[in-house]
Amino acid sequence: MIKYVRRFLLAAASLLLVMTTGCWSGNEIEDVTVSVGMGLDVAKESQFEKEINEQGAHYPKENVLTATIQIVPPMSGKKGGKGGGSNSSTSPEKKYLNEQLTGDSVFQIIRQFALRRDRPIMGHHLKVIVVAKELAQKYSLELLFDFILRDNEIRPSCLVVISHRSALEALSSEEPGEIPAFYLLGLVDNRYRSNKILPPMTLIKLDSDMQSGASFLLQNVVTAKNEHKFSGAAIIKGDTKKWIGELSQYDIEGVSWIKGDVVGGTLKTYAPRGNYTVTYEPISSKASIIPKVSGDDISFHIKIKSEGRLIEDWSFPEVPSSTHYIDELEEKFEKEVKEQISQVLHKMQKVYHVDVGGFGEQLRFKYPKQWRKVQENWEDIFTHVPITYDVSMRIKDYGSSTD
Amino acid sequence: MSGANTSAKDQITTSQAAVLLINYTLGAGILTLPRTTVEAAQTPDVWISTIIAGMIITVAGLIVVLLCRRFQGKTMFQFVPDITGKWLAWILSLTVIAFFLFTSALQIRIMAEVTGFYLLEGTPVWAIVMSFMWIGLYLTLGGMNCMARMYELILPITLVFFLVSILLSSKIFDIDHFKPVLGSGILPVIKGIKPVLLPFTGYEIMLVAIAYMKTPKKAVKALLAGTIVPLIIYLTTILMVIGGLSIYGVRTRIWPTLDLLRSFEIQGLIFERFESLLLVIWLMQIFSTFTIAHYVASLGWSQLFKKNIKIFLFAMLPIIYLIAMLPKNVTEIFKLGDIAGNVSLYLFGGIPLLLLLLSIARKKGVNPN
Repeated sequence: MIKYVRRFLLAAASLLLVMTTGCWSGNEIEDVTVSVGMGLDVAKESQFEKEINEQGAHYPKENVLTATIQIVPPMSGKKGGKGGGSNSSTSPEKKYLNEQLTGDSVFQIIRQFALRRDRPIMGHHLKVIVVAKELAQKYSLELLFDFILRDNEIRPSCLVVISHRSALEALSSEEPGEIPAFYLLGLVDNRYRSNKILPPMTLIKLDSDMQSGASFLLQNVVTAKNEHKFSGAAIIKGDTKKWIGELSQYDIEGVSWIKGDVVGGTLKTYAPRGNYTVTYEPISSKASIIPKVSGDDISFHIKIKSEGRLIEDWSFPEVPSSTHYIDELEEKFEKEVKEQISQVLHKMQKVYHVDVGGFGEQLRFKYPKQWRKVQENWEDIFTHVPITYDVSMRIKDYGSSTD
Repeated sequence: MSGANTSAKDQITTSQAAVLLINYTLGAGILTLPRTTVEAAQTPDVWISTIIAGMIITVAGLIVVLLCRRFQGKTMFQFVPDITGKWLAWILSLTVIAFFLFTSALQIRIMAEVTGFYLLEGTPVWAIVMSFMWIGLYLTLGGMNCMARMYELILPITLVFFLVSILLSSKIFDIDHFKPVLGSGILPVIKGIKPVLLPFTGYEIMLVAIAYMKTPKKAVKALLAGTIVPLIIYLTTILMVIGGLSIYGVRTRIWPTLDLLRSFEIQGLIFERFESLLLVIWLMQIFSTFTIAHYVASLGWSQLFKKNIKIFLFAMLPIIYLIAMLPKNVTEIFKLGDIAGNVSLYLFGGIPLLLLLLSIARKKGVNPN
């Protein structure tokens, strides 16, 4: 009897082994479409949508936004096929496809692609989300990103940028073989070469910035002729989470000096005598924002220190790098940084009435009690707060030239 | 064979007892801990709460150890009748059994929720849960010693993987997220203690485990090791998660610890993403918490009725499954978790002290010194 039971169990167990190979609900990579970029635009139905709507392919919705999904087609070896392809957005050199649909729910739009593509779209590898300025101006980012932050496929490590023109444009490229989503992602890594790029804003940082209620900056992308460039930043107002304005490249330099996170880039100015170009390459920078509170009066002092290299000097005939000359140049560079800072502070305090330099945060760190008093209408108070700053730039070396 | 008494062979060493305690303490709670504490305290100072909670747990654990050492070789189901009399002991034992059943069921359910959402979308819940429970049953049938050996294998693997993957998040760590320290005073810190206590309560296992120890005298050592290791793990988790996501980011995330790992990608290592790795590894911790709770609940029945434990191990499986499937949604799961946690605070925070005082007053048990 026991022998019989044993045999039965053994058979059952081996049967189980055969039946449980592999994953229960696995999706083979060949059977899914990987989306690498997503763009959100104000509603503008594509030609395709207009035509299918004429055929009655409509479902109840309002046209709020148009989502672009950038996918990398799994079949890349199908070069120079039969030529009869009706898909206008693919040429043989292109490695990506942009698909657009319009609707009023991001999730519904994405699932609507299931009606269009045989391979379901998978969001695990989404790298970049581009939001058009126009859409962010109309709708709070909190609404637009609600689904994206809830989803279990899209990772919170995804990068978020704002596009000056349409997001579709920011996700398009003429360069053969280039995938715009990866291109945008790669640009962020260039921070060590330029202090005009903001630290990457990932989804999770976006979420915590939105929750904190403070205003913040998002990297801006400008496009022309299907080429893009990172330029300046979009200002998102803390209480509405809407786009309210832009900072220029020059302003961003100011912001990065204030925040003390300059790790590279350039600082160009003109020499005191002769007015020729001189350029400084910052190697390191430190900044501290020191809040001062006396009674109800709040003020800030910013201390900025940087060390770097004199990397370009257009003097003719060459001026030898004497201590005196270097001192003069340092002073001039300091003046330039002050210029950048004063311009961005003016924009923050007088033009947009936002605090995107982290002043409120420093006040909260040092004077939490005072902060609780002013927290409610900080940005109104911030517009009248006096801010002073001193800058010290030190030229450590002059590259490989002596003069 | 009665199975009700701890047989001479089924014994565990001091380090095994410590491992048992650590494995029982570390469970599904770590996935939500940063959020629950920040929700309660609303400040980043919760790391201080964690340290205080660790001290409270140590004291509560010491009381349990002192109590158990008066009754060598007996589990609480066996010695409580000596102190309180039969009827009260039955009520108490049944409550404890119910608590362990709920703990076990909660682990199963949270495991099912998380894996269903992040790992095995599409796989039916019963398929995930049942395979998990059957393997658990296979382990528990082997007895305490068998389990302890298994946990000795699991623990180093899980801890190393956990620490490595969570420390990799130092890429997005920002010390500013902890400022200002004590900006809103000490009150939020105190508010933050309770949510830490809930996943920290694990010392109740000593009510049973000491009876299995070869050298019960060293139970204090096991207890200290068993609270320090979870303390380190919890502290690291809270520091890294808040440092990575800031309290504003933590508050809105259901599983902040997993979301921390989802928030960065590492290039250059073999793996770029670590959330699945962590979850798979951490399943072992959930598994051990589940099996221990399952075993202790069954042990309770078997010692109350003086019957072989194997019957109860089998019998408890469907009951745990049913309890696990009881909550209708995530909110209800967390509510149930809170209730279970609150019950444990009273059940294992207050009652052991009463029992200890009562046993001294009534001169029950032997003074270990």
